[in-house]
Amino acid sequence: MAILDIHQVSLSFGGLKALQNVNLKVEKGTTHALIGPNGAGKSTLLNVLTGMLKPDDGSVMFDGKPLLNVNSFDINQLGIAKVFQTPAVFPELTVLQNVTIPVFAARDGSFNLNMFEGRSKQRPLIEFAEQQICELGLENHMHSLASSLSRGDKRRLEMAICLANKPQLLLLDEPTAGMARHETEKTIELLNSMQDGITKVIVEHDMNVVFSLAEKISVLAQGQIIAEGSPDEIKGHPKVIEAYLGEAQV
Amino acid sequence: MDMTLNAFTLSILTGLQLGSIYVLIALGLTLIFGTLGVVNFAHGALYLIAIYLAVSINNAFGFTYALIIVPPLLFVIGVLLERGLIQRFYDRPHTDQILVTFGLAIVIQELLKWVFGANNIPFAIPGWGNGILFLHEYLPFLEGFVVYPKWRMILVAVSIVTVAAVFALLHLTRFGLVIRAGMRDAEMLQFLGVNINRRFMVVFGLGAMIAGIAGVFGGPVTQVSPEVGMGLLVPSFLVVVIGGMGSLGGAVLAGVLIGMAQSFTAPYINANTIIIYLITVVVLLVRPRGLLGSKGVFE
Amino acid sequence: MTKQANFWQYNKVVLVFALIALTMPFWFPLMGGYSGLDTKIMIFCIFVVGFDILLGFTGYLSFGHAAFFGIAAYTTGIMLKSFSDNILPAMFVAVLLATLVSVMVGLLTLKRTGIYFSILTLAFAEMFHSMAMAMLQTWTGGENGLTGMPTPMLFDIKMQGASVFYFVTIVAIILFYVAKRIERSPVGLLMKAIKSNQTRLEYTGINARKYKLLAFVISAFYAAVAGALMVVYEPFVGHEFLGWHQSGEVVIMSVIGGVGTLIGPMLGAGFMLYFENVLSVDLGEQWLLVLGAIFMAVVIFMPGGFMEGIARLKKRYFTTVDGE
Repeated sequence: MAILDIHQVSLSFGGLKALQNVNLKVEKGTTHALIGPNGAGKSTLLNVLTGMLKPDDGSVMFDGKPLLNVNSFDINQLGIAKVFQTPAVFPELTVLQNVTIPVFAARDGSFNLNMFEGRSKQRPLIEFAEQQICELGLENHMHSLASSLSRGDKRRLEMAICLANKPQLLLLDEPTAGMARHETEKTIELLNSMQDGITKVIVEHDMNVVFSLAEKISVLAQGQIIAEGSPDEIKGHPKVIEAYLGEAQV
Repeated sequence: MDMTLNAFTLSILTGLQLGSIYVLIALGLTLIFGTLGVVNFAHGALYLIAIYLAVSINNAFGFTYALIIVPPLLFVIGVLLERGLIQRFYDRPHTDQILVTFGLAIVIQELLKWVFGANNIPFAIPGWGNGILFLHEYLPFLEGFVVYPKWRMILVAVSIVTVAAVFALLHLTRFGLVIRAGMRDAEMLQFLGVNINRRFMVVFGLGAMIAGIAGVFGGPVTQVSPEVGMGLLVPSFLVVVIGGMGSLGGAVLAGVLIGMAQSFTAPYINANTIIIYLITVVVLLVRPRGLLGSKGVFE
Repeated sequence: MTKQANFWQYNKVVLVFALIALTMPFWFPLMGGYSGLDTKIMIFCIFVVGFDILLGFTGYLSFGHAAFFGIAAYTTGIMLKSFSDNILPAMFVAVLLATLVSVMVGLLTLKRTGIYFSILTLAFAEMFHSMAMAMLQTWTGGENGLTGMPTPMLFDIKMQGASVFYFVTIVAIILFYVAKRIERSPVGLLMKAIKSNQTRLEYTGINARKYKLLAFVISAFYAAVAGALMVVYEPFVGHEFLGWHQSGEVVIMSVIGGVGTLIGPMLGAGFMLYFENVLSVDLGEQWLLVLGAIFMAVVIFMPGGFMEGIARLKKRYFTTVDGE
């Protein structure tokens, strides 16, 4: 069953057609990679999914609910989380506080006036956050400021934030960009070890990462899906080679 | 609204004159903001330095000396401020920039108050600029006897010349080209290997120099007392915001608009400053980027 | 047992503050503070604690909070004059009105961030200032200010001298406690997250705009309480209450003390008013110059204010060797 259904989505900036009649179905529980040359529209598509950009045309359904004209925070509340290219955390807050925020969001929704709620009532939520942090191997940094973490640990922290309110769909925008080899491998390990059931859509340039994670790959070029299939089908696909070579010539 | 042609003409002139001071202050503000990304709460204080220097030199040696000395001196003061203080804040949050320049404004204002006292110092207008213009001699459609202070007309003319010079500098010289490119995308310029740092310094100096010119000619009109700086800064800021942050054309347009709005509502509303705030609020809510503001600046 | 321990741990700061504040009439004169100044310090403690919920937690720098202070002060004055000399109904109406105005102003100004927000709040406050000076002159007294109020009463108690001080101080202690409660509630954490990374917060399922508005309105409420108390303390309202000087003063107090710490801004308020009214005797006319210089030095060298200074000293002299 498709958890995410992108139907005929088009978007242009001025004269530039960033997305043209994009159709994409993501099956529940799978890892789906989006690849393509620079400027193909991959990040634009992710931004449509998180409510940051509004397409000119088309529809996006998530788990049977429309996603267009919905606020970013409501989209997250529906169960979509995003991992940014540069790890987006709360630098001035501690690791524990970072992860407590999504736990509050899961319990209280996007807004709640519990201005005077004491620590004792928050205890179970904080414990849950601590557990999440341990699961991602950050237990030694529980009370350090997020800004003091290494880049790799920031990525882990961001994952912990995203996973803490139990999303159904995780969007990853080049999660290994700018990482050293061993960090990249750790990230792959982390993504592979994640609990089953979470659907992942990953935008990535590093083909090693793509082929070791994805069950299905869609190729975007100039705002259009030009190929789709399993990693083996995509590897030798003539259109894909053409798209990448075409970029190399420019 | 039965307004005679005479009253209408005088309102236009008053609007232009009010607007021209705002434009001169706002021009420096928006230039500094657009290029350096710094919100300079001390710009009114630079104007304050200018009028005090101008009045001292004018009353001791004569207006010509003030005109020759004050603007270049302000340029130097601007450069020193940028090197000594402002450049430390390029990487700090905007709130910190606001705070430190706000502090600087207080220090300058209090320093000048200490040296020159809190009272208004009379600014003697030079002989050639004194007196009144008989407008009906130039404008045949006016009825009877219509006069306007000559100095205020000179102020308007000086503003027009200054604005034209700044536009020429920015659009006709290589320096201007680089500055304008920097206002669009400062990072790009770094990549191209342009030494931005030195140009930032010059831009800050230039902004201060425009405040210097404003001080020399505006002093006799705005008066010379310590409150003048902040009093002018607030409306000038609003002019920058209404025009669109970093837009020179916008600053000119908004300055004139505000001046006119103030001068035309003066007979009907007894506190004509309120119109400025009203316009600001309406413009920012309808066009959040200001009248001519471009996308992506300070968002 | 643990519950009691927790209570002590969480409320230590509030209790210490209460102790220092309530004993102020005994020790403050020893350092040259005249009676009455202690009351004024307490009033501004209320103002800046609320202001810190906006500036310190969410990072939004308002240059217009004098608006809520002034509106509440004028309303209190008018109520005392024309309705009843009892301060409770006057304060209630004043705070309610100013808070309602803040909802409207907040909705409009919070559409923008950063410097636009600062300038918009400044514009709104100056607008109210102009209105008080002109259109509403008959009620506000314009340039001369609002005078002629009866002696404010709390039922049968004359609000003068010590009774004003203790009334104000009790309100300050309660409101400081409330602020501490907000700080350690989920709302407090989410407000601090706005300052840290608003985009991440939105992508974590939180409606940042509503929390910003909440912080804005809470801070305006505190400003309004302070404004109303100002009239109880001294039955006079000047148009300066609404001016940008007043807003700027609160910003300076908060920054000098250390934003985001709640205690810091109160230290800043105490320092500034003490400086302005006691030390200025020696400095003469130049006190504001010195204060401006101190303010600049803090922003440049110690952005965390007095609290950062205290933390640095602590680290230097009280850390054990194994800390390194």
